[in-house]
Amino acid sequence: MAAPSAAGLGRRLRAWLPRIMPVRWSRYNPSYLEPEVKKESYQKPLEELTEEEREQMELKAVRPIKAAPPTLSSSVFSDPMISKFTNMMMKSGNKVLARSLMSQTLEAIKRKQLEKYHKAPENEKETIECNPYVIFHQALKNCQPIIGLSNITRGGKTYQVPVPLTDNRKRFLAMKWLITECRENKHRRTLMPEKLSQELLLAFNNEGPVIKRKHVLHKMAEANRAYAHFRWW
Amino acid sequence: TLRLICTTTEVQRKNAGASGPEKYTEAFIKKQIEEFNLGKRHLANMMGEDPETFTQEDIDRAIAYLFPSGLFDKQARPMMKHPTEVFPEQRKIQWGEDGRPFHFLFYTGKQSYYSLMHETYEKFLNVQKHQDQLAAEDLPLQKEKRNLAGSRWLTKIELEEMLLEKLSDDDYSRFIQLLQKLVALPCADIEESYIQKFSKELPVQLQEVVIEPLQYDEQGKAFSTGEGKRKTARATAVVYDNGTGKITVNGTDILHYFPVLQDREQLLFPFQFLGRIGKHDMVCTVSGGGRSAQAGAIRLASAKALRSFVTEKEVECMRQAGLLTVDPRVKERKKPGQEGPRRKFTWKKR
Repeated sequence: MAAPSAAGLGRRLRAWLPRIMPVRWSRYNPSYLEPEVKKESYQKPLEELTEEEREQMELKAVRPIKAAPPTLSSSVFSDPMISKFTNMMMKSGNKVLARSLMSQTLEAIKRKQLEKYHKAPENEKETIECNPYVIFHQALKNCQPIIGLSNITRGGKTYQVPVPLTDNRKRFLAMKWLITECRENKHRRTLMPEKLSQELLLAFNNEGPVIKRKHVLHKMAEANRAYAHFRWW
Repeated sequence: TLRLICTTTEVQRKNAGASGPEKYTEAFIKKQIEEFNLGKRHLANMMGEDPETFTQEDIDRAIAYLFPSGLFDKQARPMMKHPTEVFPEQRKIQWGEDGRPFHFLFYTGKQSYYSLMHETYEKFLNVQKHQDQLAAEDLPLQKEKRNLAGSRWLTKIELEEMLLEKLSDDDYSRFIQLLQKLVALPCADIEESYIQKFSKELPVQLQEVVIEPLQYDEQGKAFSTGEGKRKTARATAVVYDNGTGKITVNGTDILHYFPVLQDREQLLFPFQFLGRIGKHDMVCTVSGGGRSAQAGAIRLASAKALRSFVTEKEVECMRQAGLLTVDPRVKERKKPGQEGPRRKFTWKKR
């Protein structure tokens, strides 16, 4: 049975093996830190850093660092949000297809916006946003719910209790709603990029079915406000 | 629920010194040391070397020569070591002839642990008193922050060896919390020598790896090689200076070898990070693994090769960006009774 870290079994710091193996483990020793890929963070001069950042730097100098995953790169074109969305769109590990769909979506958004730009009168030209990345980020932000519902069972009955959501959960829900919306509620012949670009543009303007779903969730949470005291965390 | 799968000898090695009262008397150990020294001199004479300057390494070599063994486990082979390494340090008998124990905390069961906690707390109160004195005289409190990143506390096994007594995880964490509280006080510099007994220096920079110097080929071009691996793929890269940015993999251009954009992005990652995209030529060979694994292996190989062209600070930046670590993730094995590494068989009610 392969032990978690096979390298360096003699040295105490590297060879971390718990007495009992938990189900969720990683090949890295827990002392390994996450890599920082952006070039700008290394070019800051020493004086501009705060106390915390200085401590972080010293810690990084002593501890080993994990390898950067293949989806992460320091180039201008790699965006962690876009990679997360691509991974969620991926089916059966077909990253090539997911990535091509994503790039076709961004291209479609750009085309539609450029069309609108060239047709618009002079004074409105500045308000039209052409950068697909900006539209993507703004649309995701608009789709994120603020509060969620969780099932709590009390005395045999299950209540839907309003609960605050973490940032990760909000982002995940926004992306999941967008993808399910595009996969299920479309005409049989429309392709994914087309439908996705349509949804993203609507979400950017705070319209569309995904925003409606977010509002429905908020209304349900507001309606169940009475049960908020059931939450114990 | 947690299942015990496997552990190494490192974790299973119990602190033999703490397991009970002494099994070997002092006289016995002394006799063993005398016999060892005598045997060392005999061995030196047999091998024809000087008995005075016969080190432990020479002993090991001599024993391996005189008693060759084909056993795989190194610890099962014949060895001749100093008795203090063979017989672990043990606690002497804690009570006198009348049966009365020497230490006042003997009946707590963990006398050394509790006495250590008492000592540490005493130091803590000492520091607080000193602080109060300084505050009363309105002198400024010394605020030099101790560098926490450069040292670590003793591990539980090391502490057990120091105290010659078994500790539980709870006890150990309480002791470490007390030490951290002590260090957090501003005037803790007074007890610095006491604290240093329980902390170990971490290797200050993780730049233990030696960076090879540049090599020059016949035309005078500087080049350097690097090797990388990822999953089952193994790659070697040769990076040439004064180039146009051409990259060749196994004799073909990267555009033909890696049709996917993600792999080409990974190949260019080290160059883009250092800002040297058009300045170097690269020739690589790669074998094994799949599409993404080969790209990762070449990325590691090229990052290692680029270390010779670049300043130390940039090497440190590359290391913190995760370009120089070997990715240890491999395919998890399939377990018996399950369909895959994690997927279980379909549950059927009957």
